[in-house]
Amino acid sequence: MSTITLSQASANDTAGTLKLPFYIYAVVFASFCITVGLIWDISWHTSIGRDGLFSPPHLATYLGAVTSGLFSGYYVLRLTFAGRKEEKQQSINFWKVFHGSLGALFCIWGAFTMITSAPFDDWWHNTFGLDVQILSPPHTVLLLGMITIQFGAMVSVMALQNRESITSTYSKKTLAACFMLSSGFLLVMLFTIASEYLTRHNMHGTLFYEVAGGLFPLFLVAVSRASTSKWGATRMAAVYMVVMALLVWILPLFHAEPKLGPVLNHITHYQSFHFPLLLIFPAIAIDWLNQRLSVKPSIVRAFAIGVAFVLVLLAVQWPFGDFLTTVYARNWLFGTTSWYFGSDPNNEYRYKLYDEATGATLITGLGISVVLALLSTWLGLTWGRWMKSVKR
Amino acid sequence: MKKLILFLSLLLAVVKSYGHVGSPGVTFEGKAGPYKVIVSINPPDVIPGTANVTVYLEDGVKGVTVFAKPVYWTFGADGTPRADQATAFAGQPGRFDVKIWFMNMGTSSIEIMIDGPLGKGIVLVPVMAVSTAKRAMPVGLGWGLLGMAVFLVLLMVTIISSSMGDSQLNPGEEITKRLRTRRTIGGVSSLVILVLILWGGLSWWNSAAANYNKFLYRPLQATTIVNGQDGTLTLTIDTVQLNMMTQRRRMNITRKMSFLVPDHGKLMHLFLIKAGELDVFAHLHPQRVDSVTFTAKIPNLPAGKYWVYADITRLSGFAETIVDTLTVDENIFHNAGLNIKPTVAADPDDTYYLSNTINSKTATRTGAAICGSPGIETKLNDGSTAVWMQSPGKEIKAGELTNLQFEILDPEGKPAKLEPYMGMMAHAVILKDDGSVYIHLHPAGSYSMASQKALLDRIAFHEPLDKYLPQPKVFVDSIDHFMTRLNAMPEADRSKLLMVNMPDMAPSKNGTMTHQVSFPYTFPQPGKYRIWIQAKRNGVILNSAFDAVVK
Repeated sequence: MSTITLSQASANDTAGTLKLPFYIYAVVFASFCITVGLIWDISWHTSIGRDGLFSPPHLATYLGAVTSGLFSGYYVLRLTFAGRKEEKQQSINFWKVFHGSLGALFCIWGAFTMITSAPFDDWWHNTFGLDVQILSPPHTVLLLGMITIQFGAMVSVMALQNRESITSTYSKKTLAACFMLSSGFLLVMLFTIASEYLTRHNMHGTLFYEVAGGLFPLFLVAVSRASTSKWGATRMAAVYMVVMALLVWILPLFHAEPKLGPVLNHITHYQSFHFPLLLIFPAIAIDWLNQRLSVKPSIVRAFAIGVAFVLVLLAVQWPFGDFLTTVYARNWLFGTTSWYFGSDPNNEYRYKLYDEATGATLITGLGISVVLALLSTWLGLTWGRWMKSVKR
Repeated sequence: MKKLILFLSLLLAVVKSYGHVGSPGVTFEGKAGPYKVIVSINPPDVIPGTANVTVYLEDGVKGVTVFAKPVYWTFGADGTPRADQATAFAGQPGRFDVKIWFMNMGTSSIEIMIDGPLGKGIVLVPVMAVSTAKRAMPVGLGWGLLGMAVFLVLLMVTIISSSMGDSQLNPGEEITKRLRTRRTIGGVSSLVILVLILWGGLSWWNSAAANYNKFLYRPLQATTIVNGQDGTLTLTIDTVQLNMMTQRRRMNITRKMSFLVPDHGKLMHLFLIKAGELDVFAHLHPQRVDSVTFTAKIPNLPAGKYWVYADITRLSGFAETIVDTLTVDENIFHNAGLNIKPTVAADPDDTYYLSNTINSKTATRTGAAICGSPGIETKLNDGSTAVWMQSPGKEIKAGELTNLQFEILDPEGKPAKLEPYMGMMAHAVILKDDGSVYIHLHPAGSYSMASQKALLDRIAFHEPLDKYLPQPKVFVDSIDHFMTRLNAMPEADRSKLLMVNMPDMAPSKNGTMTHQVSFPYTFPQPGKYRIWIQAKRNGVILNSAFDAVVK
């Protein structure tokens, strides 16, 4: 590997602490806007229903898209046309002309994808009806854009964090905080996408553990591995839980009334989204095992973490699922009284679990969950290694 | 890709509409409490979608606010969101516009509430909420999206190849051969994966479109046959299609054939119009043999091809038109057995009318009338005349609410004293010369009165639908019983019963009914139309027809 001499400026700064580029704050903020916008939008749909291009939650999401798109776009253009030599040396060069960072490219891609989804979605609504489903092709394009922006925010932070060990120019603490936030916001998004299978009604069903096992270890393990903190996954899960819980507490404070018929549940305030899963517990297990088994082969780690994830999740979420059906959860704290305006408030499943897996079904289901979690963990370890290697 | 291009190249195709063929707009003219209004509704052709509602206050009342909300038959008024306020239309006093969201397919309605100096007035206008449109993507948008897709794929390939290559270098480091190779591998594999994702997305798109098509409104299919021997017409509804409808419970209940209810005292209004020439017109009222078979005594129709339009309404208020064609062979009535007893008696309100063809101003059939047009009157069979009160030079435009106003004068040229015909002052049928637009309307507008009653009954019930629905067999029996009783009544009593709750049928101050009738209607598309007006005087049904050119 050949190394060229670094420019004077950065070489001299190795001892000091540089201020984090404003661009990093901007993309983390964009990720935050998207997270809040999305969950607010879901609440909007369960409480008010009537969609509009410029509804307040949509505006929050657009703010995220615009912020990330503009800041990343400006970052790339400035670097390309007005960047100093040493800046270009820290960047990636693409299409022969442009210079940028990987994170910025992800953000730009996300912003363009979100923009593309708008006319596509508009046509879709005119052709197949207004908001027939949550997961339609144009909505998926939109979600892909959103999640890529959030991932881009994380990558932007990661690149500086990974580089930091060589040049030591940015505040470790600030970088770690940005990484924690951006990874946590991403986790909220992932949960939301899979939330149809992860509600309180599903917590005694095997599908819940299979979906969770297949999805969460991939991200929790990768972040645990890529984080400079020993407790990367724990911090990621903590941010997820805090954001989710805050939205459960804050949104119902505001007035909202259904604007679409049929209205079976005449509500007066926002109906909140789900109370967070207690992901912090399996996340602690992941971080702890990652530390303990750092020298073991990947397959051993994958096995240990996969099994631990499912068992810990089962240990906390199963009884918590029971608790959420009780009257003790029907309050502002846990928000289980929230109910879609178009559903009958006397629906027998309102405070019930949909299915109760027992015996062989439960054991088989948990077995599948462990296998999925194992694979997910193994992928997460590989992905985490990549995350650790991104420096531009 | 080929599929995408094919899909994009398809032009907008609109399925023939429900209720009234090719004429989805609904008009209402009448009273909302103390206010005289005309309501014009343009329902969405895709559900969920929004209806454009326009309310015109006729008497120039000031200081009025207009509200509107959707009311579903399935849930009644209790499942309705708060009404939206309509906005006053600048430059046209008395006009108010509002958009109303329809989320579910089936019988729906819009409740208009007017609040003003005269107090509050409410009126409910039924709307059949069904998806009828199949839209393809505009070519420009298609290419635009395709362009964006290519750009995004290329950018993502760049990102992924870089993520495996130069992004892993520390600042200042030069790319190595190993990283270069990895970058290429990353680029190629990501391209393959992205193309696969796009292909998956396209299949998803196609399956979503196929799923939408599955729930698209499909008009009922029927077979109409004529038996010259006994002079009967039999219409049989295709049961295979009925079985397909049962896939969705809500629409199954909504369109259930056992839940037929009479409209203007008849279970079915069937119109036979000579295809293309429009010179033969018959309005029949077939009787129910079983839930899918209807039969009527038929007049001696001239040979030729006929368009058949049969209107029905159900307990759900879901009104629709069954469209079919019928070919009447030469001389079938002449060859009929000498005196085979007819199996059905003719309905006293059945009527048959001959006129000139749409493209000729001279009559070719014996006894045929010459149709009127704006400014040109037409003679009726009892010596009276009918006049279309439309100045000849005034253009009728498609998409604009038009008030079609007619007056009937007795043989002496004085205002004719009209009697109710099936409980209404007049009936009208409007047909486009190619048969693609058909509507049966009344002076109160194009809405279905039986639907309105069905909705009001449902709203008054305040309980879930399951408690409201009767046993189909019991319901059929009760309706048959009612029909028998109605048909056995003396005509005066029957008219009295049918006129209950009918708008604008109250006698005027001098004790006679007005001789002028008006039909608010919005022609959906330009072209040549024929309008048949049916009224009654001295116990005789008076038919007349007029030709209209719509720009």
